[in-house]
Amino acid sequence: MSIATTPRGYIERPRPSGLADVIDVILDKGLVIDAYVRVALIGIEILTIDARIVIASVDTYLRFAEAVNRLDIAQANQQPGLPELMEEVTSGGASSKTKGVIEGVKEKITGGDEDEDEEDKEKDKDEGKSQSRSRRSSSSSRSGSSRSGSRSRSSSKGGS
Amino acid sequence: MIYVYGVLRRGRRAQVAAAGVEQAPIRGVEHGDVVALVSDLDGTVLAAAREVRAHWGVLDEVARSVTVLPVRFGTVLEDDDAVRSSLLEPNAERITELLHVLDGRVQLNVRAHYDEERLLADIIRASPTVAAMRERVKGLPAQAAYYQRIRLGELVAGEVARVREDDARRALEALDPHAVASRVEEPRGADGAFALAFLVERGAVDAFGAAVARFREQAGDRVRIRFVGPLPPYSFADDELRAGSPAWA
Repeated sequence: MSIATTPRGYIERPRPSGLADVIDVILDKGLVIDAYVRVALIGIEILTIDARIVIASVDTYLRFAEAVNRLDIAQANQQPGLPELMEEVTSGGASSKTKGVIEGVKEKITGGDEDEDEEDKEKDKDEGKSQSRSRRSSSSSRSGSSRSGSRSRSSSKGGS
Repeated sequence: MIYVYGVLRRGRRAQVAAAGVEQAPIRGVEHGDVVALVSDLDGTVLAAAREVRAHWGVLDEVARSVTVLPVRFGTVLEDDDAVRSSLLEPNAERITELLHVLDGRVQLNVRAHYDEERLLADIIRASPTVAAMRERVKGLPAQAAYYQRIRLGELVAGEVARVREDDARRALEALDPHAVASRVEEPRGADGAFALAFLVERGAVDAFGAAVARFREQAGDRVRIRFVGPLPPYSFADDELRAGSPAWA
């Protein structure tokens, strides 16, 4: 995640060069047509799912425990103020600060995007976000559509 | 096949210079008072990273001058007729209404993240239970303390969730009065604090920015806040539209 070096209060233009901003803004957003054909979007599904925070899992608990144990409270008391912190982060010195929980998630995002992998994860999370290819059958999005599915792309444009 | 980007009022379309998905030129499919921005699509597989930027680029360019309703990324219809019969025609009323409501307004995102070490240190200091559990677990070999570690992590996770909720609520209370509407979204990343989207009058963007600045002062350096925009109203064009003639009806 890129860190703002913007002075306080000033608005930033989103940075489409970094995919994170674009995904943050547009994924799962906008008008949904329930008759649409969702084309396969390699890589996107896995990215959405993994970027979502999964708080209630043993994995997360163990990572939190590790992060908490590693923490030196005396040292943590002398946290740098925000400007210094931002400098550190923007100059790439962030590695030591973002271990543990955060890193785990990053690794997942950049990890493999094999199709099988993707399907498994979708099932695991049961997010119902499985729009890839032919799997447009059950509930279409987590915003909960009641009249999704059951409609293949077929030639439904007829009738007018 | 036809890739759909968004819908806007007819006659207000600025020329779109940005290339669309698969580098295809952008054109309009008109119906009544509205026009859908589309491009032709050959493939059935999109390289997500590139195409997500194309989708973004087209809407970003259009939104600079007019109000556009973004259509969800990855929406593809069979042909121009389908764009009319599945999107524009059956939803004409709703689309017109949304365009009216969103006219002259922009989306501003306020995202916040924690520094994890700082957050955890705060939690340990604030919660005697967590601090005590941590001390107990520290003295034990990793294998022996497996369940204690899970329990400790669970306690911490609960505290993190609580802090996150508090911060989101405070941010919303501070900023919502300066916006026309707001949406609470799911923060991304394990260090995510909150993710809020606001609908603001174009002319009130600076005033909203001042409110963000005041909130930043209050929040101190506990959270890193990003204030991003103006954006097309992605989070406010969130209707699930009806299809033309349901095949199952």
